[in-house]
Amino acid sequence: MKELRDKKVIQGLLNDIKKKSSSLPQPLKIMEVCGTHTMVIHRYGLKTMLREAGIEMLSGPGCPVCITPNEIHEAAIDLVTENENFICTTFGDMTRVPTSKGSIQNTVPKKGSQVKIVYSPFESLTLAQKNPRKDVVFFGVGFETTIPAIAVTVRYAAQRKIKNFSLLAALWLIPPPLKEIAGAKDTQIQGFLYPGHVSAIIGEKPYHFIPKKHFIPGAITGFEPGDILMSLSSIQDQIKKSKPIVDNTYSRVVKPNGNPSALKIMDEMFQKKDSQWRGLGLIPESGLRLKDEYKTLDAESKYRLNIQAKGQDLPGCRCGDVLQGQISPLDCPLFSNQCTPDSPQGPCMVSYEGACLAHLKYGMRENRKGSRE
Amino acid sequence: MCLGIPAKVIEINDNKQGKIDYLGTKVKTNFSLMEDIQPGDWVIVHAGFAISKLNEQEAKETLDLIKEYSEFTENIGNNK
Ligand code: SF4
Repeated sequence: MKELRDKKVIQGLLNDIKKKSSSLPQPLKIMEVCGTHTMVIHRYGLKTMLREAGIEMLSGPGCPVCITPNEIHEAAIDLVTENENFICTTFGDMTRVPTSKGSIQNTVPKKGSQVKIVYSPFESLTLAQKNPRKDVVFFGVGFETTIPAIAVTVRYAAQRKIKNFSLLAALWLIPPPLKEIAGAKDTQIQGFLYPGHVSAIIGEKPYHFIPKKHFIPGAITGFEPGDILMSLSSIQDQIKKSKPIVDNTYSRVVKPNGNPSALKIMDEMFQKKDSQWRGLGLIPESGLRLKDEYKTLDAESKYRLNIQAKGQDLPGCRCGDVLQGQISPLDCPLFSNQCTPDSPQGPCMVSYEGACLAHLKYGMRENRKGSRE
Repeated sequence: MCLGIPAKVIEINDNKQGKIDYLGTKVKTNFSLMEDIQPGDWVIVHAGFAISKLNEQEAKETLDLIKEYSEFTENIGNNK
């Protein structure tokens, strides 16, 4: 599918978008929900090119590392600093998120304890089997893309009765925050690029309320620049015809009903709960926890953690506003001054997909060309 | 975080464990979330798990669609 990156094809698609924009009075505001899209848009310089073609892209809440509130990170830090012979495993970006207790990476674990970065949740389980005298907690973060893999892992632990393994869950569902964003009285969003790999699991149906109830168009989108531009073109067509739908320009990967086996195991292991999101606050039924029958594998109940919402970022950090699309990272006074990838003040500068990091990393290049981001 | 890589399935056993070829390297992959999968198929891999199968027919249609969208422009020319 290298055509989807070809310069001439991209230019052709951009011209098409520009032509369609000329019949519209104002630039369209489109939200890319997924952090991986944010990254692709910046990496290929699409942000500036699209602005010139009449489309303003806004980043959404689709970076799980960014929206996980500090209190859960702090609970993970407490686990390794207060318990001996304890292994906390997690995905790389999670270890660097700054909190009032430092980051997981720079805390000093108690005797015999450690933090380990894993690529797959299953690695944590293998680690637990290899270290029967230690307690292993997988600090699992993710959206629907990652949740089924975590579900398979926990079910395996339950079936094999692996007692020294548990899950500290930071699991989030994508449709509920979209409901909040689309339903907000003053919403500026005129279209959504839906996340490709979340959709590979959940399919098209969970988004249908957005065009139906809120009359906002959208398209499920893949991760090549051509995918993104095709979806934007489709959104323009939907607006022109006044017929908002859930289009799917990533049908080579996303089936209309998603991945039924993955949905089944998610249902089998987890139940919905109201969850606190950084920046967005408490959203009904937007998170998952293990069902009661798997309580012994739930770190929250196993270690009697009391995770209380604090709703606080570090002083000065405006990640919360960035995640709601209310400000651009450039509007944060700490951006590129005190807050840099080497010394991040908030998760949006930590995560590979965070809007602040993407702006800093790729925005600079665009700025040098004279077009300020 | 939701990054997924397209890769070709090389082997898969009865327990749905197997390997993919990613840029020439064999990588251990879990296929528990997949139905009807066999060596030679292309899948999207995320966090060590295959999460979706790539559909060749749909891929072709995407390319047709792209042509349709770009047709109205001067620059697409004989690009293929
Ligand atoms: S630039 Fe840094 S401090 Fe400012 S909002 Fe982003 S992560 Fe927070």
